[in-house]
Amino acid sequence: MDKNSSHRLKRRWLKVAHFIGLFLAMLVICLPGLWIVLSSLRPTVEIMAKPPVWIPRDISLDAYRAMFGGAGQGGIPVWEYFRNSLIISITSTIIALIVGMAGGYAFARYKFKGKSGVFLGFMLTRAVPGIALSLPLFMIFARVGIIDTHFAMILIYVALNVPFTIWLIDGFFRQVPKDLAEAAQIDGCTRWQAFWQVEFPLAAPGIASAGIFAFLTSWNEYALASQITRSVNSKTLPVGLLDYTSEFTIDWRGMCALAVVMIIPALTLTFIIQKHLVSGLTFGAVKG
Amino acid sequence: MKFPKLSAPTLLLLPAIIVLAAVIVLPLLFSLYSSFTPFRLTKPESIWVFIGVRNYVSVLTNYEFWAAFGRTVLLLTIALNAEMFLGLGLAMLVNKATRGQRILRTLMMFPMMFSPVLVGFQFKFLFNDNIGFVNNALQSLGLTTNAIPWLIDGNLALFSIIIAEVWSSTSVFAILILAGLLAMPQEPVEAARVDGCTPWQTFRYVTWPYLMPFAFIAMTIRSLDVARAYDIVKIMTDGGPAKRTELLWTLVGRTAYSDARMGLANAMAYISILLSILFTVYFFRKLAAARQQIGAEW
Repeated sequence: MDKNSSHRLKRRWLKVAHFIGLFLAMLVICLPGLWIVLSSLRPTVEIMAKPPVWIPRDISLDAYRAMFGGAGQGGIPVWEYFRNSLIISITSTIIALIVGMAGGYAFARYKFKGKSGVFLGFMLTRAVPGIALSLPLFMIFARVGIIDTHFAMILIYVALNVPFTIWLIDGFFRQVPKDLAEAAQIDGCTRWQAFWQVEFPLAAPGIASAGIFAFLTSWNEYALASQITRSVNSKTLPVGLLDYTSEFTIDWRGMCALAVVMIIPALTLTFIIQKHLVSGLTFGAVKG
Repeated sequence: MKFPKLSAPTLLLLPAIIVLAAVIVLPLLFSLYSSFTPFRLTKPESIWVFIGVRNYVSVLTNYEFWAAFGRTVLLLTIALNAEMFLGLGLAMLVNKATRGQRILRTLMMFPMMFSPVLVGFQFKFLFNDNIGFVNNALQSLGLTTNAIPWLIDGNLALFSIIIAEVWSSTSVFAILILAGLLAMPQEPVEAARVDGCTPWQTFRYVTWPYLMPFAFIAMTIRSLDVARAYDIVKIMTDGGPAKRTELLWTLVGRTAYSDARMGLANAMAYISILLSILFTVYFFRKLAAARQQIGAEW
């Protein structure tokens, strides 16, 4: 009996510790973001106040109204930046996923000469930081005449994302047992059908997470975008964010508001795709 | 099988190879060439003058370069270890949670949605010595009376940058390790428990070897992302105060764009890229070894 109750006590203590740990971790993760959101809603006077005002007295959407209202007169064309970011990120993610799926499948399912070498070569292209790539790309794109276009940015982001998507998708196809596709083929599927009906659904959560990573990379990239995009035609939000600070002294409230605008689509998209991340991997054929 | 064995993978890999060659390999060859010239942005014709390895010699004998190099390695080591440790802890915590896992997972990915530019501004805001959250909180709690110059003092500035780095990238580790935890078969863990392993032993000898490939994937990705430090550092301190937080890539950026000495900057970039490649190869081999250990086919 005594042993039982001490065990139960230990269990409860562990549960409490787990809860506190989780709570603290989430607090550290979320607090900076929440602080940004809060600051975007407060008047500048309150942000600057000394001693600090902890409980907001005056909440308003003025910063957002100013941002979306005043395009043209010193205001930033947030709508255009937003649209550019969306077009460039989504298109490049889809292309990177298609290219990455083909490549990842090749690495996971085929044996060929120099496989390790090719794989390593792909990864090494990621060792090149945006800053190092930006100048030669700028000169070449200017010569070809695609500077400041969506096409140029999409091309760049596909190239940036492909090695990583291949890597992730390779890993996820690897976890789908070969036997499943072979069984399907014995049952009369072609290799193409076996892929779409057996292997793809099982690897889909992994592919979704690769897609999230690719989207976020494109959505957030700054070093290259700041060189290749020149005007409203193709400027993305991260570049637009810097516009904000060069035109005024740092306007913390406005910055915070634009930051919130940048976060919302990323947040939504991640949340939608996430469902697929959970379901597939844990149950079904992989385990049984 | 319809295709002969060799052509199928080649066909599948072709799109990737074409894209990477066009956007990364060719420009790199171009910049490699320009690193052997005294190319300046302001003098386009200087691209045709060949000066051999003079740029490389002047980079390698430059004290500032080696200082930035050392600082980058220091930042990388501290940040990667902290992220690895915290990411593992976070993944385990979330994996153990019985309720609200979906929400937790979304919250966990929160920092990844912040672009490095945003992270930089956010922490510049939080660490601001006058109106920043951190100083305000410390003062309101009575822990200190004077404003701590987080971004103005040389050592504190590097520390603040490391905090920003860790905050923004721990979730990369956590997500990948969590994916590993979810994909991991439960039988070995149950078997270990039945055989009388303590939780620590179960973790050390059963769970960890399974997670290692995922951790190394995260390591490799992150070690290559040192460039991310460029955006964050650029915005938080711009290499200051007095170049105490100058990293390799801010130095390259300054040489290329402020001083307009593109040839020299490219030479510097190549040496830095070499460093990244060494890290990649190192983690890649670790990854292959870890995969072999859990019996995956390579």
